[in-house]
Amino acid sequence: MNSYQLISLEIATVLLGLGILVADLWIAPAKRRMLGFIAAAGVAVIFAASFSPAFPDFGTAFGKMYVFDGLSLFFKRFFLAAAFIVLLLAIDFADRIAVGISEFYSLILFALAGMMFAASSNDFTLMFAALELITITFYVLTSFQRNKLQSLEAGVKYLILGALSTGFTVFGIALVSGIAGTTNFIELSAKLKDVSGDPVFLVGLLLLTTGLGFKIAAFPFHVWAPDVYQGSPAPVTAFLAVGSKAAGIVLLMRVLFVAVPEVAKSWSGLLAFISGATILYGSLCAIPQRSLKRLLGYSSIANAGFLMLGIAAVNKDGATAVLVYLAGYLFAVLAAFTVISIITRNAESDDISVLAGLSKRSPMLAAALTFSMVSLAGIPPLAGFFGKFLLLKSIIKAGSVSGPHFVLLAVAVIAVVISLYYYFGVIRAIFWSKDVSDHSPIPVPSVMAFTLAVCMAGMFLLGVFPGILVDADAEALNSAVGVFARLR
Amino acid sequence: MPPISDIFFYLFAAMTLFCGLMVVANPLSRNPVTSAIFLVLTIVSMSGLFVLLHAFFLAAVQILVYAGAVMVLFLFVIMLLDIKEEERRKFKVISSGIGALAVFGTAAIFLKSIGTTQWKGATPTIEGSTVALGKLLFDKFLLPFEIVSVLLLVAMIGVILLSRKELK
Repeated sequence: MNSYQLISLEIATVLLGLGILVADLWIAPAKRRMLGFIAAAGVAVIFAASFSPAFPDFGTAFGKMYVFDGLSLFFKRFFLAAAFIVLLLAIDFADRIAVGISEFYSLILFALAGMMFAASSNDFTLMFAALELITITFYVLTSFQRNKLQSLEAGVKYLILGALSTGFTVFGIALVSGIAGTTNFIELSAKLKDVSGDPVFLVGLLLLTTGLGFKIAAFPFHVWAPDVYQGSPAPVTAFLAVGSKAAGIVLLMRVLFVAVPEVAKSWSGLLAFISGATILYGSLCAIPQRSLKRLLGYSSIANAGFLMLGIAAVNKDGATAVLVYLAGYLFAVLAAFTVISIITRNAESDDISVLAGLSKRSPMLAAALTFSMVSLAGIPPLAGFFGKFLLLKSIIKAGSVSGPHFVLLAVAVIAVVISLYYYFGVIRAIFWSKDVSDHSPIPVPSVMAFTLAVCMAGMFLLGVFPGILVDADAEALNSAVGVFARLR
Repeated sequence: MPPISDIFFYLFAAMTLFCGLMVVANPLSRNPVTSAIFLVLTIVSMSGLFVLLHAFFLAAVQILVYAGAVMVLFLFVIMLLDIKEEERRKFKVISSGIGALAVFGTAAIFLKSIGTTQWKGATPTIEGSTVALGKLLFDKFLLPFEIVSVLLLVAMIGVILLSRKELK
């Protein structure tokens, strides 16, 4: 396959985005909302096309800058699935956006293209371009509800902190590639022995890790997350929590495990510290939250910590567990934001009290949100359980090599218990609220009902038959470039 | 009579230094627009220095991007802000202290690097010609280059969306 065939999924995504943008010119304003169905259908077709047997198990394009392997394919499908649900969410959200709904759809598609490129990047230049495509698109998306002060605040905060993190990233890249003399991950790993002792190189790598830490909202680079999550339109928050975070994770895996595997091993203490601090911070701060989106913001910080857990384990089990965890996280978070988006349609606030009596007002929404919280809390038989279980197992394995990982294990277990408290706070509000002021049933549009059904089915299937996913993920890592196959 | 390139070097270097000083410490005017115009002159004379080094592309970019685009942006920002307010502003001790620290710190690093550099034996080579740069952009770095084009489209859409008037 030549270079252009390898990137055909990304090309199709960009073309779809451009198509939506142009189609807007010929479609009456009243019907523009329907463009979302075309966008979602297009994404579904691209998702199906990713299973085409024509794609090789392994391939590189553009002078080894772009790599097509099991890991990148997993993440491409992950992003496509997330974008599909987010686009459906956006269709329902369309009437709350004053102008530019077609642009809203196409920006989501452009961010998706950026994420898909990020999943395949094997070079700092491609990584940076893809990362910026994601981030700059999100600057616009977060502030899309211009007439809402909160949305503008979220946009400005994300812009300033995002620009700062970009500064860290690009300065880190400059130092790393300046010392190593290459921007390619594979070439860098071959030269690593000569440069890994150089303090400037390590500082550069640290800055780079900081920049990626901002993207996944890991402690201490998490400050933007709660405000931005609260203020942004619900579909954008959902995409930010799922897509942008996963893009940061895949880049972290590529940089640490492909470009600098030896350094990653010697840094496992540092990674474990970041992971533990992030988990603890996110879990503790989530307890007093009243705003649902803010609660999910802190929960997403805690989840970033759990994902870092798999990276800090620096073994193949950890990497596999990250992928399994992300798959469960995808459905749980998207279900939660779908419910929040519907509930806040009429209510101005997203205070936890709007959930009062939800079990009577709309059993479907109540069920979906409950399953989502149970899955996020990591209770069997839902998808979240196996992700957490595998992550903790990988840490135990890492702990048998280096003792400090057992401290991390203890922190993670405590955080799981804390998280039960605040996730069940939401469930309690749904079923056992005393003062129910509003008894009117909440209508659920059929698109949203479909979205919720997909998410719930995903949570159940991955929870009941995790074996399929675990095997597929282990396989994905085996065919991945770099050290995944060599990590034990 | 020194060679003509030397004469030009001293001319441009003196102009760069003088105009740079005028940007921050103009005794006649504290008007930000005057500072901005002096910044343009600084950039133009710096691009003259690049021409003397045979870095023609860098010289052209210096004028196109910095003197052209970035300065227009500066002037727009100055016009949007209240200039009278700026003129009345007093110096703050802390901020000038931090500024001085930054300046002397940078100067110290600069002097040290001049002192430790081996000047003899370095053969001057010309790198970064327009042709080589173009070939790199459209060959090795084609993919990031194309992604950046999508990125610029996104930025354009974003600016139009966020700045246009609310339609009724």
